[in-house]
Amino acid sequence: MRLAALWGWVWRSAAAVPPLGWLIGAFCAAVLELLIGYELAIMLYLPKVPPLFGATLLFQNPLLFPATLLFDLLVYILPVCAVAFGTQRLTDRAAAFLEHRPTWLAALMHLVLMYAILHVWTEASAYRLQVSKLVMIAVMLTLSLNVINGYMGEFSCSHPGFMALGAYAASVFTLVLFTQDRLFGPALLPAALGPFCYPLALFIGGMTAALGALVVAIPSFRTRGDYLAIISLAFMFIVKSAIENIEPVGGPRGMGGQPNWSTLPVVFTAMALCIWIINNFVRSTLGKALNAVRDNETAADAMTINTRRTKMVAFMFGAFWAGVAGGLYAHEVRHVTPGGFGIQMLAEQLAMVYFGGLNSVVGSVVGAVSISMVSEVLKPLGLYKWLVIPLILILVMIFRPTGLIAFRDFDIKRILAPRKAALKRRE
Amino acid sequence: MSLEFLLQNVINALQWGSFYALIALGYSMVYSILMLFNFTHGDIFMTGTYIGLGVATGLLALSGAMGIVLPGWLLLAMTIVIAMFLTSFVGVAVERVGYRPLRDAPRASAAITGLMIGIMLEYGNLAILGTQRLLFPPIIETVTYNIFGVFVTNKKIVIVAVALSLMLALHLFIQKTRWGMAMRAMSFDFQVVPLMGVSINLIAPMTFAIGSALAAAGGILYALAYPVLDPFMGILLGWKSFVAAILGGRGSILGAALAGFLLGFIEVFVPIVFPSTFRDLIAYSIILLILTFRPYGFFGQAHSTQLRL
Amino acid sequence: MSLLRVTDMTHFFGGLRAVYRYNLTLAPGEIRGLIGPNGAGKTTIFNLITGIHTPSRGTVALEGRNIVGLRPHEIATRGLGRTFQNMLLWRHMTVLEHVRMAHYAQLQYGLFGAFFGSPRRYAEEERVEANSLRLLRIFDVERYARQIVTSLPYGAQRRVEMARAMATRPKVLFLDEPTAGMTPEELTQMIGIIRKIHQEFQVAILLIEHRLKFVMELCQRIQTLVFGEVIAEGTPEEIKNNPEVIEAYLGKEEVA
Repeated sequence: MRLAALWGWVWRSAAAVPPLGWLIGAFCAAVLELLIGYELAIMLYLPKVPPLFGATLLFQNPLLFPATLLFDLLVYILPVCAVAFGTQRLTDRAAAFLEHRPTWLAALMHLVLMYAILHVWTEASAYRLQVSKLVMIAVMLTLSLNVINGYMGEFSCSHPGFMALGAYAASVFTLVLFTQDRLFGPALLPAALGPFCYPLALFIGGMTAALGALVVAIPSFRTRGDYLAIISLAFMFIVKSAIENIEPVGGPRGMGGQPNWSTLPVVFTAMALCIWIINNFVRSTLGKALNAVRDNETAADAMTINTRRTKMVAFMFGAFWAGVAGGLYAHEVRHVTPGGFGIQMLAEQLAMVYFGGLNSVVGSVVGAVSISMVSEVLKPLGLYKWLVIPLILILVMIFRPTGLIAFRDFDIKRILAPRKAALKRRE
Repeated sequence: MSLEFLLQNVINALQWGSFYALIALGYSMVYSILMLFNFTHGDIFMTGTYIGLGVATGLLALSGAMGIVLPGWLLLAMTIVIAMFLTSFVGVAVERVGYRPLRDAPRASAAITGLMIGIMLEYGNLAILGTQRLLFPPIIETVTYNIFGVFVTNKKIVIVAVALSLMLALHLFIQKTRWGMAMRAMSFDFQVVPLMGVSINLIAPMTFAIGSALAAAGGILYALAYPVLDPFMGILLGWKSFVAAILGGRGSILGAALAGFLLGFIEVFVPIVFPSTFRDLIAYSIILLILTFRPYGFFGQAHSTQLRL
Repeated sequence: MSLLRVTDMTHFFGGLRAVYRYNLTLAPGEIRGLIGPNGAGKTTIFNLITGIHTPSRGTVALEGRNIVGLRPHEIATRGLGRTFQNMLLWRHMTVLEHVRMAHYAQLQYGLFGAFFGSPRRYAEEERVEANSLRLLRIFDVERYARQIVTSLPYGAQRRVEMARAMATRPKVLFLDEPTAGMTPEELTQMIGIIRKIHQEFQVAILLIEHRLKFVMELCQRIQTLVFGEVIAEGTPEEIKNNPEVIEAYLGKEEVA
């Protein structure tokens, strides 16, 4: 009871600070860490700055855990809270000011700040940088899978296949045009042009995946749910073994040597675009048609909804983003093999979607971030990791069958709104 | 292509078909009766094989200690029966832990739970038995017969014969017994049948038990032919059999068995004509085509399969 | 001039003759009833006309244009709205979303607008929302606008379904047992609502009903269907006194 009261108090005071305040606080903490993190870590007898808030140390070296907690408290929690609450009046006024400006301006400001935090924070280690990028790619994949499995309610298993199509298409594009490559020979265009054409490469990857999605979408006009699961599964295996048989792209040995163009700003921008566009789509009446098709297709038809077009758009749209994510992934890990886009990857992606919550943008972000984080934290456990993660997921499914944060609208305007008014309304 | 060569491959195809069909039956039964994807089934097959390994090793040790030399066929029969019995409990446990709490949940969630239990079985096995691969004891000696130029091993005959007789037994069980009737009724409409005195809490575990037992039998037969076991052996065979089960059509035992054999034939005959790396590509493409033009499988009837989110 | 004209529509399910030589001429502004015992094929007639099934024989013309073979959503877009016997509502959507959704074919923005949030999209969505709220007010369910539809009382769900059907701007409205499972008070209320939409939107209505009192009170003409065939057609008075109808339908009811 008292715990609940305490929790309520914490929640209320946290809600009184607009997101702008928290972001500024986080930025200050990140800068602080960059400045004194190493010295502080040494003082606390830590070998280095804990890469992921010390979570990875939990199983690697539990004895150091109290020290990392202290480190987190000093570097993250206290400064963030201090700055957030200290600037509450100011940030609230700023939020109120932004409320009457176009939404995109406010959103852009917050995004820039978020990027700044990430940029500073990932300065500390290459590991952090890579984890952050992979998590952002996972967010894109989860969200796009949620469009098909959550918003449209089909059970599609072909996402790794779409991702593979995107990864290979984008890689072929960059390798042929911009690099001296074992498989494709000398570069056709000067390498300096490359980074400018990279968005085009990603777009081509996305479109390739979207075209592949047609193969799955067309049978889906005749069937629903179950059979589509098989068709999409078969599609995934087909993509995998088709790539294995195309020698020019390396066959089963895969394809490597992609230029490292998936830099933090690129991945961050792609993810922000992905979230923005998908959220726009699912909140529009055109996008809500997915829910209508899911909940009752006959009724959707009778209410003038073009169900075929809706299904096709959803499949191609979801696949497009999976393809883009695949392209980013290929240029991040810089070596892809067809075997990597298999059942294992499918299980991970499904886990993220169903853990985070169906039919929810926030849920997908939460699902992707938390499953990736848990996976990183449990890495020292070796194979026991694969006993713990499934167990967590089973428990979530039993107690919240549609996932943690399901069926939640993501309204940027409401999130960025100033908090004074919100508090008053609650009282 | 000579006739002998053809027959040789038919026998190989029948052997692979037997594995697929035995596993597919389990998928198909759970799917028709509970409308669930039992994604754990491939790993139950793996578990069953390991249980079979344990049983066979135990029996060998026991008979060795008592100084009796049991004939190979008896040993095999005992191993299969005991392993089937033990593995059926694994199936019941999976149903109890993973599926029963989710009976009113979206079916997709139950599928995820099943997938996760499967992963736990794989890695649980790895954690308990370690990473080295285990060898299934050679309980029957290989004898090769030459029938008009076609080489047939006794193992292949045993595999196909046992698989076929198990399928026949299942068919008789479902068609002739009271329990089988209840299962058929349940697959017809599992909303209404519970009102008529048949408890789903009895039929569901039974379905899982029978499916798992068949998977265990399939696993032991598989181990006869390919004795090197590893914890991930269930994945590929499981997913392929799953596809075969759905291809057969909902509620059709015959369909699942036939689709299993079809898959075996495709997989054996494709590498004869094409490079062997094309095997999966062509097998799945054929499946995709079949499902596009016969969306409800060979023998399935159109039915509403809303995912009930 | 007739708004909807069905001639000689016949349909077989496998070997089963579900509907045989069904004819219908619906004038603008008419309310027509379709009665008949269970399994007579009334809902099948609805499904055939609205395109869920394609009739084996016969023609269906809406405003003089043939609609046989069109997909259901195309027929709905041309002005044929309907409700369902078992209210096919979308269980995860709010009341307001239901009515907004039914504006789908009228939306003046495309995928680009949906993806990038063009100004036209927001203008359109605002227009749709205003119209939806207006409809909700007419059907007296405005106070539920933000609630998930499954949380509503039964009668309110029926009204939401009608509001949804009206949002497609139908010229002809098909009502499939609009009073199924309703109490006598709700029934009286429903008569009022159907009269109101009939006047306000100038739609022609074809309704399937079991309760004869309801049909007799609302409809100008009534068809009686038995085993897929119309056995009698006429004014409520004529139907009431038709010996064949009494035998096939009313008589049975009295015995039961």
